[in-house]
Amino acid sequence: MSDDNKAILVVGGGISGITTAVEAAEAGYNTIIVERNPYLGGRVAQLNRYFPKLCPPYCGLEMNFRRIKTNPKITVYTMSELESVSGSEGNFTARIRKNPRLVNEKCTACDKCVEVCPVERPNEFNFGLDKTKAIYMPHEMSFPMRYVIDKNVCTGSSCAKCVEACKYNAIDLDMKTDSVEVNVGSIVFATGWNPYNAENMDNLGFGKIQNVVTNMMMERLSAPNGPTKGKILRPSDNKEVKNIAFVQCAGSRDENHLIHCSAICCMASLKQATYIREKAPDSNVSIYYIDLRAPGKYETFLKKVDEDENVKMIKGKVAKIEEDSATGDPVLTVEDVEGGGKIHQTVDMVVLATGMEPSLKAGAAPGVKVEENGFISLNGQSGGVYSTGVAKSPGDVTTSLQDATGAALKSIQSVVRR
Amino acid sequence: MADETVLTPDLGFIKSLKGAGAETMKKCYQCATCSVICPLSPDDNPFPRKEMIMAQWGLKDDLANNPDIWLCHNCNDCSKYCPRGAGPGDVLSALRKIAIQENAFPKGLGKILGEPKMIWLALLIPAIIFMIAMKIKTGYFFQIPEGEVVFSKFFPISLVDTIFVPIALLVTISFVVSIGRFWKSLNKNPYKLMASGTILSGLIATIKEIVSHSKFDKCDANKDRVWAHRLVLFGFVGLFITTNWAVFNLYGLNWESPYPLNDPDAVAIFGSEAAAGLYRGVFKLTGNASAAILLIGSIMMFANRVKDKGFSSVSSSFDWTLAIMVFAVCVTGILSEVLRLANAASLAYPMYFAHLIVVFYIIAYLPFSKLAHMVYRTTAITYAKMANRDVV
Ligand SMILES: Cc1cc2nc3c(=O)[nH]c(=O)nc-3n(C[C@H](O)[C@H](O)[C@H](O)COP(=O)(O)OP(=O)(O)OC[C@H]3O[C@@H](n4cnc5c(N)ncnc54)[C@H](O)[C@@H]3O)c2cc1C
Ligand code: SF4
Ligand code: SF4
Ligand code: SF4
Ligand code: SF4
Repeated sequence: MSDDNKAILVVGGGISGITTAVEAAEAGYNTIIVERNPYLGGRVAQLNRYFPKLCPPYCGLEMNFRRIKTNPKITVYTMSELESVSGSEGNFTARIRKNPRLVNEKCTACDKCVEVCPVERPNEFNFGLDKTKAIYMPHEMSFPMRYVIDKNVCTGSSCAKCVEACKYNAIDLDMKTDSVEVNVGSIVFATGWNPYNAENMDNLGFGKIQNVVTNMMMERLSAPNGPTKGKILRPSDNKEVKNIAFVQCAGSRDENHLIHCSAICCMASLKQATYIREKAPDSNVSIYYIDLRAPGKYETFLKKVDEDENVKMIKGKVAKIEEDSATGDPVLTVEDVEGGGKIHQTVDMVVLATGMEPSLKAGAAPGVKVEENGFISLNGQSGGVYSTGVAKSPGDVTTSLQDATGAALKSIQSVVRR
Repeated sequence: MADETVLTPDLGFIKSLKGAGAETMKKCYQCATCSVICPLSPDDNPFPRKEMIMAQWGLKDDLANNPDIWLCHNCNDCSKYCPRGAGPGDVLSALRKIAIQENAFPKGLGKILGEPKMIWLALLIPAIIFMIAMKIKTGYFFQIPEGEVVFSKFFPISLVDTIFVPIALLVTISFVVSIGRFWKSLNKNPYKLMASGTILSGLIATIKEIVSHSKFDKCDANKDRVWAHRLVLFGFVGLFITTNWAVFNLYGLNWESPYPLNDPDAVAIFGSEAAAGLYRGVFKLTGNASAAILLIGSIMMFANRVKDKGFSSVSSSFDWTLAIMVFAVCVTGILSEVLRLANAASLAYPMYFAHLIVVFYIIAYLPFSKLAHMVYRTTAITYAKMANRDVV
């Protein structure tokens, strides 16, 4: 375990990638995290709470960030992507492209720049439910805690108002794209997932009916640091949501969309049912499902939610959502398979339990073989290349953590074996 | 539910379903997307999800007597949205084929004629009947007459009558028996005992719907089929009218094909040759226009089947046989007329003979063929209208 061991490269800084890097570093190996976003944490950072204990996601993330900060063996590149990979197990050369943040490490997060910036952009962290300025903090708990400028909308040196406002000389509008080459012994892909594009399901009205949202939007609508400060207000008129319906398997287990079961969306909807039930005691929840997947330890959670009289679980897949144009209420149609007959239900808001589409479905990364469905199987990779977390197969955080520990061990073996 | 239900799946039935184009049915996982997508499915006990599970369970009797499979117009919108590629539209279409076979009278004949292999036998039967009849009447099995082409010289009109009138009668009897049975079993279905309204009003509403194709027009995935179907239907109706009109000309007016204008009977009725000519013109126009419409419709049907758009229906041999026969009846009919006008005796008479065979095929086997759907569907929709199972 001498220091001339090659480093381990981890692509993707979500909970799986972070865990792989931290575990390997704490075993004494140098690790490098390459993360595309301006912050670490991945999708978990966007959750309001996470099951089964329903604690805020920062419980887990913050602890990991501390471990990263205090461990000199971990190097983090945010806003970065893998550009090329060559070599073989034990001796890869990887080129990393670092996109310019335009804000350097002198930033103290004082917010003076935001006050003066004249340009707004949709906030993708909140799925466009609100806006940020062109210079912004990705989110309240970002790691690194540093602002970033969206180059696509910033008007540049002709404006430079933020540069003037910043007392710490932290803004550098001329920062250029940079790249570094690293020599590593193994590569772990922990590139995670994106929410499946709900607009593809033209019968469910997403994108046309304002009060039809996705489950990830629901996380943001419920989060205290979200666009509505944790009040669950529907998009069309900011009315408080009292009657809500969840549409399971929206785009998952479907030949026309994602063929796989996304594994967590049943649990996510049960969890989100508790969000609304806690906030409004007189609220009503309907969950429409094909079959509810709450494996093993989650069964108690399912039972608990099911005991609530105001939560109804109905077997049948919602296949049509229309809008009541007068009120903006979504009206959904479903066949109640057990009760017989079609149901037409009018609610304040519909949540589509959209599935997880592997990130690499949208475009491959160098050095890795991606299956047709976008997941990265361990089989068929060249030696020293691994995958973990949802990049490998859909699952919850607990499963991802266990898997990431395994990936750390495998990547260490590749470094040592050589 | 306290009662116990014992399911006795009919394995032979499941097999025959698969043969009829429903091999995808086992993929269904009962999500009920199809029942919601279907533009024709009622709120109460919607289809086709329940038919999918009934088919998987092999509940033949329940399915053969289920009016809902006839409410489906095979638009395949449901198949397009089905998350499993279980093809509910195709399964219903296969179920309809089996329902025809099950209800047809005499039943065995339906099964035999449903076999694609049997088509040659089915065509041979009329050929033999015609030749024997010709032998008796003219002394020859197959003799091309001299002189100007006049089809009655080859195959006397009286033979047409003696063969086709009894056949039409048998077909009618067969339908009366099988539809009577079908109607009775419809009414037996426990959840549909709420039938109300009169048959007449139901039937009138149904015919209105058929003429306008209003249900068919709700199709999304398979829009082109609507026009093809409309033209074929109208073509058939036109030819049916023409045929009866010809019978009227013969026995009512005593005026025989090829309708010479100087025929004393005709002149006596119409007053002048010009008036008789006008009458003949309208009559011939009706016939030729109907044939043309049928031809266009059948070509469109063909084209639609060929350019299968992925999610549109899997055409079983059942559908194909019909499409081919409809096409053949047009082509042989039109060619007979053209060849007759061209006075090409050696081609015109055999063509006419072929035409008669196809006409026989379509009429005599009506109760067992896909075409029987018009009778079953009309019955089922009438029932549905009375039972308030109809989506407007
Ligand atoms: C609505 C919803 C609610 C959920 N709630 C819970 C819950 O309560 N409890 C629970 O246990 N699980 C929950 N999950 C599941 C949980 O989100 C996942 O298990 C978790 O996100 C997996 O983490 P990951 O690191 O594998 O992937 P991600 O979180 O997706 O992280 C991947 C990271 O890789 C980065 N990346 C992607 N491509 C590249 C690239 N080419 N180069 C560089 N970086 C890249 C991404 O930017 C991202 O930061 C929920 C899921 C959904 C949809
Ligand atoms: S330079 Fe760009 S980020 Fe700075 S204030 Fe102007 S628009 Fe905003
Ligand atoms: S987890 Fe539930 S909602 Fe998600 S795809 Fe699987 S069954 Fe459907
Ligand atoms: S046929 Fe398809 S859409 Fe209908 S219930 Fe079965 S799987 Fe669902
Ligand atoms: S094919 Fe069309 S009419 Fe028939 S069940 Fe499917 S959607 Fe309904």
